[in-house]
Amino acid sequence: MSRGMRRRFAIIACRVLQRVLPRRLRSWGAAVEAELGEIADDRRALWFALGSVAGLMPRALGAHLAHAAQALAANVHPGGTRMRGLATLAWQPRAIGIACAVGAVALGLAALAAAGAPPAFIGINAAALVIGSLLIGILDTVGAGRIRPAQYRPGIVLMALALALLATALLGTRANGAARWVALGGLSIQPSLILLPVMLVAFARARDALSAGAMVVAAAALALQPDRAMAGMLAAAGAALALRRPSRNVLIVLAAGMAGFAVTLARADLLPATPHVDRLLYTSFAVHPLAGIAVLGGTLLLLVPAIVGLRHDAAQRDVHLVFGAAWLSAIAAAALGNYPTPIVGYGGSAIVGYMLSIALLPKGPRAAAAGSPHAPQAGVPPSDRRLRLGLAR
Amino acid sequence: MARSRALSAHARRILAALLAGGGAWRHGYELARVADVRSGTLYPLLIRLEEQGYLEAEWQPPAEKGRPARHAYRLTASGIELARNNPPDRAPPARPGRRAAAT
Repeated sequence: MSRGMRRRFAIIACRVLQRVLPRRLRSWGAAVEAELGEIADDRRALWFALGSVAGLMPRALGAHLAHAAQALAANVHPGGTRMRGLATLAWQPRAIGIACAVGAVALGLAALAAAGAPPAFIGINAAALVIGSLLIGILDTVGAGRIRPAQYRPGIVLMALALALLATALLGTRANGAARWVALGGLSIQPSLILLPVMLVAFARARDALSAGAMVVAAAALALQPDRAMAGMLAAAGAALALRRPSRNVLIVLAAGMAGFAVTLARADLLPATPHVDRLLYTSFAVHPLAGIAVLGGTLLLLVPAIVGLRHDAAQRDVHLVFGAAWLSAIAAAALGNYPTPIVGYGGSAIVGYMLSIALLPKGPRAAAAGSPHAPQAGVPPSDRRLRLGLAR
Repeated sequence: MARSRALSAHARRILAALLAGGGAWRHGYELARVADVRSGTLYPLLIRLEEQGYLEAEWQPPAEKGRPARHAYRLTASGIELARNNPPDRAPPARPGRRAAAT
C-alpha cells in the first residue's frame, strides 16, 4: 500500500467512525482525525486510526442498541396493552435491522461456542459484524453529498454485481461440482450471500430495465454455480415483488428467477453438510436446548425488520417485502438442505450481506405522517437517498 | 451509591500522564505515546473519564495556520485526586510477544 493511500485510508476510517458513533460521541471521532495531522509516519497514522475504530466501535454499537431499546421502552403504553414503541421504531427500520443483526450474531456466537466451534469461527463472525457496520458507515459517508441524484444509475451498479456473480460461477473455487466461492486472504467467501440480498433490495427500489437485466444475469449465474439456496432467494423475492408490482420488468425477473431455480433443482447438489455452518437448526438442539433456542431465536430476529416495516411503513412495503422474502428463503434453504444457516451459523458472508441489505432499508418512511414528531423535516433530503447514492459509487 | 472499581493498569498510566502535565492540556497521540497505550484503549478510557467528571475535554484552535483544531484533555480536581490515589504500577507490564500466525 502506498504512503498516500495509507493516509487516505486512515482519514476514511476516521470519517466512518464519526458517522457510526452516536451524535454525542462524534466529536471523539473528529478528535482522532485531528490527531492524524500530528503523526508524520503514514503507517503509524493508519494504525492509530484503525486502533481507534476498533476501540470505539463496540461503544457505538452499544449506544445504538441502547437507543433502540429506550425508544421502545419509552413508548410502551402505560396500560401495557397497546405498544406504540414499534410504531416509533418503524421510523428507523435500519436501526431495528442493525439491532437484530447484532442480536442474531450474538445468539449465534453463543450457540457456536456451546457447540465447541473453533475460536477462529467466533472471531470471524464477530469481525464480519464489525465489517458490515463499517460498510454501512462507508455507504453513508461516501454517498453523502458527493453524487448528484442525476448521476445515480442503479442498473449499472447492479449489472457490475451480477457480473461478479457470473465470474464466481466461471472462475470461483469448485467443490463437488459447485462453484460458489472465492478464496480471499485464506478465507472462502461466498459472493452471492454478500451481494444478492442487497441487489434484490436495490431492485425493489429501482425496477428499471437495466436493473432487471442485471437480475437476469444474476439468475443465470446462480444456475451455473449452481446454488439452489440463492436461486431460491431470487425466485422468492421476485415472486413477492410481483405480487405487489406486476410490471414487465418485475415479471421478467420473476421468470428468470424461477427458471434459474428450476435449473438448480434439476442439477444434483452433492455438497455434504459442513459442521457449524449447515443444518444448525437441527444440530444445535442436540448440543443443548438453550443452544437450539439461541439459533432459532437468532434466525427469527432476521425477519423482524421486514415484519415491522411491512406493518408500519405502508409507502415502502415493496422494499420490506423483498427484504423479508429474501431472508425467509435463506432460512428455509438452511432448514431444508445443506445450506448455510444465515448469520447465526459460521460464515461472515451472510453477516456482511445482511448488513448491506439493511443499509438499503429506509431510515424513515417516505410517506411521513403529518404531525408526527419523527417525520422527516421539509426540505431535508431523505437520508436513505445517500445510501442509494453510496451504492452507485 | 457510586460503584467503586479498581482501575486498570492502562487507566492508571493515562491518569499519570495527565497528572505529569501539571494541569496543562494534553492531546490524544501524545498521551498514547507517553502512557504507552494503543489508541483503541486510550479513547474509550478518555470518554469514560470525561463522563465520570474526572476529565475536561475541549477543542483548541490550531497552533499553526493550516493545521486542524485539536481535542485537548486535562484532569479536573476530582481527576487529580483520582490520579494521585491510583499511581501506575512500578514496572509496566511487559507486552506479550507476538504469537506465530496459526491457520
